Amino acid sequence: MSDKRTTHFGYREVESEAKAGLVANVFHSVAARYDLMNDLMSGGVHRLWKRFTIELSGVRPGHRVLDIAGGTGDLASKFSRLVGETGSVVLADINESMLRVGRDKLIDHGVQGNLEYVQADAQALPFPDDHFDCVSIAFGLRNVTDKDQALREMLRVLRPGGRLLVLEFSKPGNELLGKAYDQYSFRVLPLMGKLVAGDSDSYQYLAESIRMHPDQETLLGMLEDAGFVNCEYHNLTGGVVALHRGFKA
Amino acid sequence: MSQLDPTLVTAVLAGLERAVNAALDLDPGAGKALAGLEGKCFALACTAPAVSVYLLPGRDGLSLRGWYDGPITTRVRGAASDFAELASADDPAATLINGSLQLEGDSGALIQLQQIIAGLELDWEAPLVEVLGDVAGHQLAVFLRASFSTGREASLSLRRQLEEYLHEEGRLAPSRQEVEDFYRDLQALQQRVERLQSRLGRLRRRTQQGKHS
Repeated sequence: MSDKRTTHFGYREVESEAKAGLVANVFHSVAARYDLMNDLMSGGVHRLWKRFTIELSGVRPGHRVLDIAGGTGDLASKFSRLVGETGSVVLADINESMLRVGRDKLIDHGVQGNLEYVQADAQALPFPDDHFDCVSIAFGLRNVTDKDQALREMLRVLRPGGRLLVLEFSKPGNELLGKAYDQYSFRVLPLMGKLVAGDSDSYQYLAESIRMHPDQETLLGMLEDAGFVNCEYHNLTGGVVALHRGFKA
Repeated sequence: MSQLDPTLVTAVLAGLERAVNAALDLDPGAGKALAGLEGKCFALACTAPAVSVYLLPGRDGLSLRGWYDGPITTRVRGAASDFAELASADDPAATLINGSLQLEGDSGALIQLQQIIAGLELDWEAPLVEVLGDVAGHQLAVFLRASFSTGREASLSLRRQLEEYLHEEGRLAPSRQEVEDFYRDLQALQQRVERLQSRLGRLRRRTQQGKHS
C-alpha cells in the first residue's frame, strides 16, 4: 500500500512529487506566449495589479530584491529601475523556459547590469539567510507544491524588516462577480488558450488552480504561521486578485 | 486604507502619469526643473473619499503613486470639498493658507512643483476618459484643469502677497522705488566723491608747484 502524500494539480489529486513536473509542463507549453495571454486574459489589468505591487514594495535605490516565479520579468524590470546601480535584483523561476523568455525579453529591453537570473525552487531557495530587502512572488505561489515551506524559505532569506509581497488570484467578494468570473474562467479562458497559445489544457489548469488556491483570509493565516508579522492584504478588482504583504520581525 | 478599489486608483494614476510625462517630454526645461526635486515626495491626502496620491519627481519625470512608505516632503490634507474649494477659489493662495486644508512640511518645494506642472500644456481628458469613461473622466478632467489653471494664478498671487508682506508689513526688504532712490543717491554721492577727489588732486599739484617756484 502506498503512503505517498498527495496534493492537488488543478482539480486533480496527484502525488506531491509529481506536481512540480506537471506544473513545469504547463509553463514550458505557455512560456512563449505568456505575456500576450496575460494581456488578453486580464484585458491588460495585470499591469495595474503589478504596478500596485511595486508601490507597496517600498523598494528604494540600493535595495536587494528577489522576484520568485518571476516569469517573463514584469516585476523584475521595474525593481531593476528602482534599486539603481547600487542595488540588485534576482529573477528566480523554477521553469527554464519561462526564465529564458524573461531573460531574452529584459536583455532586448536593455534591462541589465543589476539583474541576475537564477533557476530556483521556491521551497529550497539557494540564497543565504537575512539577505533580501524585499521578496515578491506574483501569480506563482498557487503552483508551488508545499506553500508553507516556500513561505518559510522566503522569510529565511529576508532581512529583518524586509517584506514579502504575494500577488495571487483570490476569491471575489461579490457573489455576482464571482459567478461571472467562474463563467469567464471555465468557458472563455480555455478557449482563448486554445486559439492563441494552441493549448486549452494549460489554461483549464490555470482556472482550476485558481479555485484551489487559499482565499484571502487563509493565505493571511499562512503568512502569520510562517512567522511574518504585520500581515495584511488588499483586494484588487473586487477580490479577483489579492496582494498579501508581511514583514520579517 | 483606500476605500476605492486600488485597481481603479492605480489606473487613474497611471493615466495621469502618462499625460504629465508626455507633456514633460515636450518641455525639456520643465523636465530639468523636475529633476531638481528628485528624492522629494509630495502627498495629497484626501480624507473623504479616503484616497492619497503621492507625487515623486525625478530625472525620469513624475511618478504618481497611491502608496508610499518613505519620508514625505510636503503633505496637503483635506476633504475632496476642500480641494475643490481650492480649485475654484479666486485667490487659491489665500485659500491654501486660510482654508480647511492642512499643510505640513516644506511649502516652498510644493510651490516649485506646482509651478512646473502649471507651466505644462496637459491633456488631462484623454487618459481619464480612457479609464473612467466619458462622463466621470470629463468631470475629473474639468476639475484638474481648473486646479492647475487657477494654480498658475495661485503662484502669481502668492508671489504678490509675499512681496507685500516683505515690503509693507515686515519691512524686511525695501520696495523697488526705495531701492531705485537709494541707487540714485548712491550714484550722485559717487560722482561728488570723484569730483572732490579730482579737486583735491588739483590743489595738491598747485601746492607742490608753489613750493618749487
